[in-house]
Amino acid sequence: MSAKVPLSGIRIIDFGWIFAVPHATAWLGSMGADVVRIETSRAPDMIRRSTSPTGEVFFNRSGVFNAVDFSRRSIVLDLTRPQACEIARRLVKLGDVVSENFTVGNLRKYGLGYEDLKKIKPDIIMLSCTPLGQDGPYARTVGWGPTTQAFAGLCHLTGYPGGGPSGIAAAWPDFAVSVGIVFFMLAALHHRNRTGEGQHLDVSMAEMVTTMIPEAMMDYFMTGRDEGPKGNRDDAMAPHGVFPVSGDDQWVAIAIATDDEWRALCDVLGVPSLAADPDFARLSDRLRNVEMLDSEVAARTRNFGREELVARLRERGLAAGPVYNIEGLLHDDVFANSRMLVKLNHRAVGERTIPVLPSRFSAIEPAYRGAPTMGEQTDEVLTELLGLSADEIAKLRADNVLV
Amino acid sequence: MNDAGEYRELPQALDGIRVVELPCLDTIPFMAAAMAAKLFADFGAEAIKVEPPRTGAKERGLGPFRDARLDPETGGLHLFLNTNKLGVTLDLERPRGRDLVLRLLESADIVFNPNLPAVNERIGLSWRTLVERFPKLIVVSVTFFGAENAYRNFRGGDLVATHMSGVGWGTPWNQVTDLPNQPPLRIGGRQSDYLCAYTAAASAMIALFHRDATGAGQHVDVSQWLSMVNMMRPAMGIYSHESPGNPIYDRVAKRIKRGSPWVYPCKDGWVTFAAGGDRFWNAWKPLMGNPAWMNQEIFATPTLRMDNVEKIEAKIREWLPALTRQEAFEKAQGHHIPCFPVYSPAEVAANPQYAARHFFVEHDHPVAGRVTMPGAPCKFGGTPWRVKRGAPRLGEHNRKVLGEQLKLGDAELGALAKEGVI
Repeated sequence: MSAKVPLSGIRIIDFGWIFAVPHATAWLGSMGADVVRIETSRAPDMIRRSTSPTGEVFFNRSGVFNAVDFSRRSIVLDLTRPQACEIARRLVKLGDVVSENFTVGNLRKYGLGYEDLKKIKPDIIMLSCTPLGQDGPYARTVGWGPTTQAFAGLCHLTGYPGGGPSGIAAAWPDFAVSVGIVFFMLAALHHRNRTGEGQHLDVSMAEMVTTMIPEAMMDYFMTGRDEGPKGNRDDAMAPHGVFPVSGDDQWVAIAIATDDEWRALCDVLGVPSLAADPDFARLSDRLRNVEMLDSEVAARTRNFGREELVARLRERGLAAGPVYNIEGLLHDDVFANSRMLVKLNHRAVGERTIPVLPSRFSAIEPAYRGAPTMGEQTDEVLTELLGLSADEIAKLRADNVLV
Repeated sequence: MNDAGEYRELPQALDGIRVVELPCLDTIPFMAAAMAAKLFADFGAEAIKVEPPRTGAKERGLGPFRDARLDPETGGLHLFLNTNKLGVTLDLERPRGRDLVLRLLESADIVFNPNLPAVNERIGLSWRTLVERFPKLIVVSVTFFGAENAYRNFRGGDLVATHMSGVGWGTPWNQVTDLPNQPPLRIGGRQSDYLCAYTAAASAMIALFHRDATGAGQHVDVSQWLSMVNMMRPAMGIYSHESPGNPIYDRVAKRIKRGSPWVYPCKDGWVTFAAGGDRFWNAWKPLMGNPAWMNQEIFATPTLRMDNVEKIEAKIREWLPALTRQEAFEKAQGHHIPCFPVYSPAEVAANPQYAARHFFVEHDHPVAGRVTMPGAPCKFGGTPWRVKRGAPRLGEHNRKVLGEQLKLGDAELGALAKEGVI
């Protein structure tokens, strides 16, 4: 293990909010970058909002925010005030990367667009993330990932066979975009480290989502087919689905790729004769008779408990798993021991369990730090980075610049 | 559409990085390593794709094929995943094939290996072996469950990762009314494969920065399952922060409809629409003509609107069927409210926004002819994504890579081909 985290010395000025951008910078902060998150209580990040059972609203107790925005410092700056924009520019001058996901053109109004920042810091890397990208006829659209993915084709492809489109859980694709942003930023930083050149990175959430549906897009481009949702089914595997087991709303996911695997499944289900049934014997038969196949399988899986069936299927080397809700996931021993759940301290709520990065590095010990309360490091950042005195900071606060 | 040539003079961000992608030997199609190597190749790295001789990589058999003619060189998924790569064939099940892989790794920066630890032990390519032998190499295990935990040799894939993460449980989002007949749902396509690929690519870049700083490579353990679990962080945060008496706590565990969905039917299809927050609610009022119902006390705050969400949803369902997708999109966006048309792949292909940004790219492939496919996932202003070469024919670069880089002579290459190693 190395004491040094790989991004120490890199500073990121993060104007991002909601999910995709702030979570990307949480990865970089956890790897040692100094992430300075700029926000304002005048227009708080909606995910800072937490509501008690009695309806009381808090801005520093949100579990969602704390699970997304860790490993950073927060300063409050009201960018509608010119002095705040001047402070932001001074911070950018000390930064390596700027990230933002405002509606196209909004930062330019404050003199904080890429062309403005390039004048202050010629090798700056700026990443802008918007629903549909920085140019084109619909550049100024607003939206979150879950609304935007409809435009990208993913919503149409998600749903029960023959039914309408579906929304997706987990604010999909916001955190997928976060992970992409980590890659894009680091690629640009790698280039800057070698050449001294910065650049502007333009992420269209929709376009990134469309890079993740190549099967359907290539089907259209190669054959002209324009298919709808397929439920849990797959074009190359059968059975391939979620099947009921004993208990209320309990399910097991099973993916069978070959005829050998099909025979093993029939053994486990206690119906070896089904394997030889000419309607199901070969993959092509099973794909053709998939409705019938799925009901035959479902009729047998019901006789098993979830854990028992999964264990037996795994014993035979089959691809299967329990269908988890959040409680099931948190009770999975392997997940609980995966080092993806870490206790981090937070000024307002104390120590809490936070999901950190999903990848493990044999030579890096990430520098995880609990999420900041709003503006928690305002004084620290202004003093340390800009050399402002306590009086100057008090004056800015009195002038409502630091809110 | 972009002819993929306009940026030819510019450098690329990952120029000079060398990546090796090993084939997945599982029967489940698992595209994560192929996509991760593609991300590197498309931004400038040299990516060598190692494929099993004769059959080639799994995606070559999956199509889609023009005219339904099965041809390992013309499948759409293969063309998408392998454009910009060099292709070599090597049989990893044979010692000679494995030796040649090790020689390729001598000059590589990153290797993506999608095989289970037990398979890697059998073929002599376990991550420990590679890390010991090549101290500067970044060895990325891209597996179903991770390389080091108790699930490491279980088989998984997109369906299993989706459903073991909790993402499948909440899908479709707030649309389930009949639990037994609406099971938890996979997302369209192979989302966990591609998400795992982005996770592997981001993680490999982190390890590259570590190597820049220290000179040392390492093992990076990327799990398809945990890549999907990573999406569930809001729910995990709610679980560790809110009391069980809080409605939001219970909401994240149940999959029955309990609030507004993202999608609504309109005149000619569906749109996504969301206007619960103050800013959007206030913007929506004039769009609706400031009706009296919107000013009722029961809708005065986001919390109250959440409590009365069914009433709001009923109003949305009355309003949208009068509008086409395009009308709803333009009207709502005109008031800065999130709303988008639900597009099919054909409509995505035809939309003017992507066209204006040259998102889809075309190039000529020597066997497949004119190929159109999705392009850059991010537009780099100075070092753009681009197509430099079409997807390799099976074994196309055996001579270039094994001959020129590994200095194998013609006679040796001929013998390897005869033995079926390449």
